[in-house]
Amino acid sequence: MQARPLARADLITGVILVVFGIAAFAESWGMPRLEERSINPWTAPGLVPGLLGIIIALLGLVLALRSAFAGAFGPQVPLDDDTPEERRAASRRLALCSVLCFIYAVVLVGHIPFWLATLLFVFVFIVSFEWQRDEAWPMRARKLAIAALIAVLAAGFIPYMFETLFLVRLP
Amino acid sequence: MFEGLGHLFAAFETFANFTTVFNVCWATLVGITIGALPGLTATMGVALLTTLTYKMAPEQAILVLISCYVGAIYGGSRSAILLNIPGTPANAATTMDGFPLAKAGRAGEAMGLATTSSMIGTFIGIFFLAIIAPALAEIALDFQSYEYFWLAIFGIVIAGQMCSFDDALKGWIAGFLGLFVAMIGQEGIHAEERFVFGWSELSGGIALIPALVGTFGVAEILTVMRNRAAELATSVVDHVVPRLSDLWHYKRTIVRSGIIGTAVGIIPGVGEDIGAWISYAAARRASKERDQFGKGSKEGLCAAETGNNAAIPGAIIPALTLAVPGSAPAAVLLAAMLIHGLRPGPMIMIESPDFVFQVVWMVAMATLAMGIFGILLTRPLLKILKVPRERLMPVVFVLCVIGPYAITLRLFDIYVTLFFGVLGFILREMKYPMAPLVLGVILGDILDKSLRRALVLADGDLTPFFFRPISAVLWITTALVILSAIPGVQRAAARVFGWNKA
Repeated sequence: MQARPLARADLITGVILVVFGIAAFAESWGMPRLEERSINPWTAPGLVPGLLGIIIALLGLVLALRSAFAGAFGPQVPLDDDTPEERRAASRRLALCSVLCFIYAVVLVGHIPFWLATLLFVFVFIVSFEWQRDEAWPMRARKLAIAALIAVLAAGFIPYMFETLFLVRLP
Repeated sequence: MFEGLGHLFAAFETFANFTTVFNVCWATLVGITIGALPGLTATMGVALLTTLTYKMAPEQAILVLISCYVGAIYGGSRSAILLNIPGTPANAATTMDGFPLAKAGRAGEAMGLATTSSMIGTFIGIFFLAIIAPALAEIALDFQSYEYFWLAIFGIVIAGQMCSFDDALKGWIAGFLGLFVAMIGQEGIHAEERFVFGWSELSGGIALIPALVGTFGVAEILTVMRNRAAELATSVVDHVVPRLSDLWHYKRTIVRSGIIGTAVGIIPGVGEDIGAWISYAAARRASKERDQFGKGSKEGLCAAETGNNAAIPGAIIPALTLAVPGSAPAAVLLAAMLIHGLRPGPMIMIESPDFVFQVVWMVAMATLAMGIFGILLTRPLLKILKVPRERLMPVVFVLCVIGPYAITLRLFDIYVTLFFGVLGFILREMKYPMAPLVLGVILGDILDKSLRRALVLADGDLTPFFFRPISAVLWITTALVILSAIPGVQRAAARVFGWNKA
């Protein structure tokens, strides 16, 4: 069989799906059958999730077996033709974006006023991605001003729209 | 027939006012902008607008969402032509010939053709929406639990197969995972909690809007920020009003693509992107200039843009009549209808027949607005494409966070959005299609209740599942789809029927 891209990742996913499917089946099997309420046994709550657990486990097994025979244990076929430097840069951008989004949605929202959380997030996000070490100060100041303007507009308009127009109490 | 015309005129009266025109205009414009910006998809746009319109009157809210949907699928052609990046997945086939045309200095011509093809495609779809929806609703009245069970399985299997071109297995895994997600929370027959693990917020289940905003919004933001920035092919635009001779020359392709797009749209969960690809492939096969496809063929561009827009009314047909969406944006539309107290499904032609025809008008008005804005605002839209993603994405993320929260006022829904964003990103990176996952979340409840009710009705006897006429059609088609995805069966079929690989 020809080596597939993502073969090793598929093997790991397949194994995870098998374990997940079996766990889902076991949990469904252990669900109350509600005999004390004299319900029809065909309407037991665990029936459908149990069947889905079996199907997911079977699909995971097929995926794992297919990957095992398609180069999961050998050298991996690259998905793109990016250079290592380009891949590192992409990973850095992804990590930065994920961390900023997580901090905003989990740490800031719900714990400080929404407008302030939005102001900080939008400003820091734009500045973090547009910051360049060897940039001249006038250009840098312009970018900072634009980031601040967008942040102020977002922090002003979005809460106004939800709170005043849609009467939603923001976190 | 005459009763249908009566409903059609009655439906028009609902929208003969200034508010309607205003809502159609701004929502279509928002849709075009969302579609044009890489990273903002039609599904995300409709989902975010659902959170912004839930205090509106139901007809006006659905009108806004449909306008955004139509605008976004069309708007994606702008970035496909100018950036070689489809603004929405539906415009992937448009890049094949749109971008080469732009590089050859014919961007305006390409955008003009995309506009008119999209309009014609949507109107072909609207024609079938008006005809097929009432008929399908009548057929669906005969559906019992057996048929709904098979419809759910059929939807997942065919969406899994068609949405992932070369790896149906991954499509099916995504679909069945979606079905499983729908099992979380109180089940619909005995109100028994499942997979809640003492977490009270899970007992209500996973709401569709946070799951969709996460899968199509947050995941898309992560993808866009990870990728390299795109560059415009050209900033110069030639004439944007297409020549009638071009359209007349490709009339067969346009009509064929419109019909294919609508038919693909009707298939549960399959949607606009596949509508465009199949239309494109059919056009290439039938074309006299097939060697030009992929190098800047106007016929290829017409086929792709007609196919994806025709799939919009197509995808609305099963959403309205079976409560089974034909595409991911139609899934959000379905959820929005439920939020607004409308009840899509087989009873719709009995309970609210006017609404079906109101939807026909909504799509028609949005299509007109799309055409007018598409032609008039070519140059301003070019400026939108120059907005750096670094400045746009944080604002979009704020909307992704606060939108799902605004519906239920639960911080928990923000965490659900984030979870599905990360899950969607990982699955997408590993080449799992997202449409079957979303379809699964919607169909899970139907599958769960239908299977158990059917087993009670038949007292555990499985024969009605296989021998009732509509059930038989559904399960045989499902089985054939599964068999056709198995490489050994494909090879055997190729040997028996003498197909070659090309």
